[in-house]
Amino acid sequence: MIRAPLTKALSLGSSTSPIHKIAAAAFRTTAVTAQIPAKAPEKIEVFVDDIPVHVEPGTTILQAAAVAGVEIPRFCYHERLAVAGNCRMCLVEIEKSPKLAAACAMPVMKGWRIKTNSEKTRQAREGVMEFLLMNHPLDCPICDQGGECDLQDQAMAFGSDRSRFTDINHSGKRAVEDKDIGPLVKTIMTRCIHCTRCIRFASEIAGVDDLGTTGRGNDMQIGTYVEKLFLSEMSGNVIDLCPVGALTNKPFSFAARPWETRKISSIDVLDAVGSNIIVSTRTNEVLRILPRENEEINEEWLADKSRFACDGLKRQRLVAPMVRIKGELTPVEWEGALIEVGQKVRAANGAVAGVAGSLADVESMVALKDLLNRVGSEAVCTEQSFPSEGSGADLRSNYLFNRNIQSLETADVALLIGTNPRYEAPLINTRLRKAYVHNELEVASIGPKIDLSYRHNNLGDDSNLITQICNGTHPFAAKLKEAKNPAIIVGSDLLARPDGAGILANLQNFAKGFKSTSALNVLQRNASQAGALDIGYQAGVEEAIKSKPKVLFLLNADEAKVTRDQLPKDCYIVYVGHHGDEGAQIADAVLPGVAYTEKTATYVNTEGRAQQTLAAVSPPGLARDDWKIFRAISEIVGAPLPYDSLEEIRDRLDDIAPHLIRHGHLEANSFQTVAPQLSAAPSISSGKVSVQQLSLKDYFMTDPISRASPTMAKCIQAAKKEGEKKAASASC
Amino acid sequence: MVENKLVLATPEELKQRNKLAGTIAVPKQVNIAPITGHPEEHVKNRRVCISRPAKNSMQSGTNNLDYWRIEFDNRERWENPLMGWVSTGDPLSNMEVEFNSKEEAIAHCEKNGYKWFIEQEEQAKPSRVKNYGSNFSWNKRTRVSTK
Amino acid sequence: MAGREAARKVVHQVRPLLSVDKDEARKRVINLYKTWYRQIPYVVMDYDIPMSVEQCRDKLREEFLKNKDVSDIRVIDMLVVKGQMELKETVEIWKQKGHIMRYWKESQDPKPTDFLSKFFNGQN
Repeated sequence: MIRAPLTKALSLGSSTSPIHKIAAAAFRTTAVTAQIPAKAPEKIEVFVDDIPVHVEPGTTILQAAAVAGVEIPRFCYHERLAVAGNCRMCLVEIEKSPKLAAACAMPVMKGWRIKTNSEKTRQAREGVMEFLLMNHPLDCPICDQGGECDLQDQAMAFGSDRSRFTDINHSGKRAVEDKDIGPLVKTIMTRCIHCTRCIRFASEIAGVDDLGTTGRGNDMQIGTYVEKLFLSEMSGNVIDLCPVGALTNKPFSFAARPWETRKISSIDVLDAVGSNIIVSTRTNEVLRILPRENEEINEEWLADKSRFACDGLKRQRLVAPMVRIKGELTPVEWEGALIEVGQKVRAANGAVAGVAGSLADVESMVALKDLLNRVGSEAVCTEQSFPSEGSGADLRSNYLFNRNIQSLETADVALLIGTNPRYEAPLINTRLRKAYVHNELEVASIGPKIDLSYRHNNLGDDSNLITQICNGTHPFAAKLKEAKNPAIIVGSDLLARPDGAGILANLQNFAKGFKSTSALNVLQRNASQAGALDIGYQAGVEEAIKSKPKVLFLLNADEAKVTRDQLPKDCYIVYVGHHGDEGAQIADAVLPGVAYTEKTATYVNTEGRAQQTLAAVSPPGLARDDWKIFRAISEIVGAPLPYDSLEEIRDRLDDIAPHLIRHGHLEANSFQTVAPQLSAAPSISSGKVSVQQLSLKDYFMTDPISRASPTMAKCIQAAKKEGEKKAASASC
Repeated sequence: MVENKLVLATPEELKQRNKLAGTIAVPKQVNIAPITGHPEEHVKNRRVCISRPAKNSMQSGTNNLDYWRIEFDNRERWENPLMGWVSTGDPLSNMEVEFNSKEEAIAHCEKNGYKWFIEQEEQAKPSRVKNYGSNFSWNKRTRVSTK
Repeated sequence: MAGREAARKVVHQVRPLLSVDKDEARKRVINLYKTWYRQIPYVVMDYDIPMSVEQCRDKLREEFLKNKDVSDIRVIDMLVVKGQMELKETVEIWKQKGHIMRYWKESQDPKPTDFLSKFFNGQN
């Protein structure tokens, strides 16, 4: 039962390793292709440490070795970045070749015998390590990378056991001035080993050509040429990429060592992408958030807001139930607060409404809806609107990102309407950029002129353009129709306009003629929206206001879409949520819920993929799981909900929609073609197409957690300052 | 040499001996919770997460990730206000058991009566042929502008 | 979420522990129960516990009924072995008064089981 790494490593045949499985599969496929004469480019056979592998032509030695389950040490090479070939750590010996080859850049040839562990190879590695360490400071004990440093590990594994560095002239090691590249990334440039991963990330993935090298040889420096900030919504990823401690996490600096933190896998909810994350905690405190690899969603990147807003989880928190006594919110015991709310709900006699905000999870929304249904109300809605005319939110394909995120890579023509994916969903934007770089994607946008980090054709911001595209009079319409893999991405804010139904219907009719069925995608901005519409919430707060409620539940609703003067004078507002923000301010009773790092809860991302967060820390003060609060109220009201535990409420979710508990799976949508038949009379009013987040400074604070985060405040400051500097230099 | 016991045994005793040497049929689904001495509240109320360790995004090595593990859900922790030591009332908070395969982990949980769930299924990695030359190709967007 | 896998009805062959069939296992359980039952008056006397013989017998019954749903012969055998060990320790006075009294869990506050009390306690 217990894992036996040694036996596993030794016996290839009985191994269960996925890498070996792939290798085994490769054998089989070649055996088949050998019988049936040539179709796909024939795979070539190479031997890595005498293990035969069959790989596509053009594969590098390093990739072939990975197929064989052999990991070659590297610094500059990164799976998702271009090949640089400058660190020389991956030098390997090839039989009968006089010189060693850089495994990351050398494509394999038929019959090569690659020796990754020969005397010559080991000597080369030792030499490279010696040169690297000659100019690398010995400050591991005070370095934030210590414990998760590639240089440290590889020096242990492949380096020499003693140093020949004596510094006879007392000139000291190479020293480089630190750069100030923003409030998120701390630089200690003396530690840099010039792998250029950060440069390649900035120019390839983030699309910001800010970083580069100056000087040559020993004097080479990484920097921004002129002093400026590295401002990108993806800047945090260079911290992960940096194999040494040259770029480290500024808010997390000197906070903890990696081996003393607990790591819990979870899901990010600050945008609708649902990036997979790892929450590092210590002493019941979230210290940092790292991305977790998921090919289908975030690859291994994470947007800055998701990564750095975690300090907002400690501030502005609601820690005790509060009830408004003589105009002041006063902390009370749970019993008192629940009885107060329960009495109001009973007295309301069915005139109760609920509004769910951007951070609400599916479990609590289900509990709220069930509670309201039991007291005789149907008025549950979300803060974000969505057109209800036509098939509205009845068909999932109407409000989801139907072409899944991963397949955006294969898109060849894309049209963005009323959305700025760079800030609304940075990781979807990086996929678009990936398609732009590797698949020659052609992008056009309708909306204000924005910087998407890749070149695109801004068609203008007139709403009539949508009509023109849809009836085919615009030249871009033909391009979309002819494209093999077209993608139209519509911002959810555009559809929240009064003529949203018309826009959606027109686009659906237009997309019918496409070569791909799932070309039309709606990009949601809230982690809660897709889940809320899945379980039958009505989109938009109008419904709640129209029902003239005597009691209004705000579940994480902090966008101030509902205000006091829209409601009846005697309306009793109950806020359930975790931050003291807009919602808590207007509330008569505040019931403290928990944030996404503190609960095990389900969220549905914009693709319609249900994923769950896991509780990483325990909630502060008297805060309780949101769904439990509604369950408790239901008991006070006298209509107890039939679930007491997480398993039971998950069973209830299963009854409503089974996909909600199949975490991680993506259910295919099949109603794209039906939707246009059900749509209402399409009409698009004239006007301008706008987006909310125009520039970087609009990106950092969009929800209660990031609004409470001091790091995000610093980012906005920095972005503003940089903007002013740019404007000043442009004017003179 | 024949044992004295065997010679002196009655036919019934011999039969029982034979039976004991053979096998009996029991349901494959066995729950050993009653005999493990594991407190009932920790068997019934805990959720076990079965997962593969995620690669640390700060590092490129992948050698120690090839196993499945079980972990129990997180419980309350608190900090000593004077020394900052962290305490927990949860006997399982540091328990992590490693397995070679998912099936073994599931079997272990079933046997002990834990409620389990699998965190993430394996995903196939799309292969991408990488080429040093693409940094310099004159007609592709992969051409590198900054160095 | 996979939850528990549906109980598979498949049986498989294993080496027996003590009993070779259900009847034998049952006999062993009843035998153990009777021995305990007869021993209880002496336990009450020897250990001088503030419990009557009836109360002790109720507790005995309760402890046995806790495992009434166990169906695997090997698990039953193991429980019997554990019960015999307990008995031996009790008879030989290897235990002390407190060990016997622990069966009643008098010093433990019972944890609430209904939803609202658990909610107010902040208990999972």
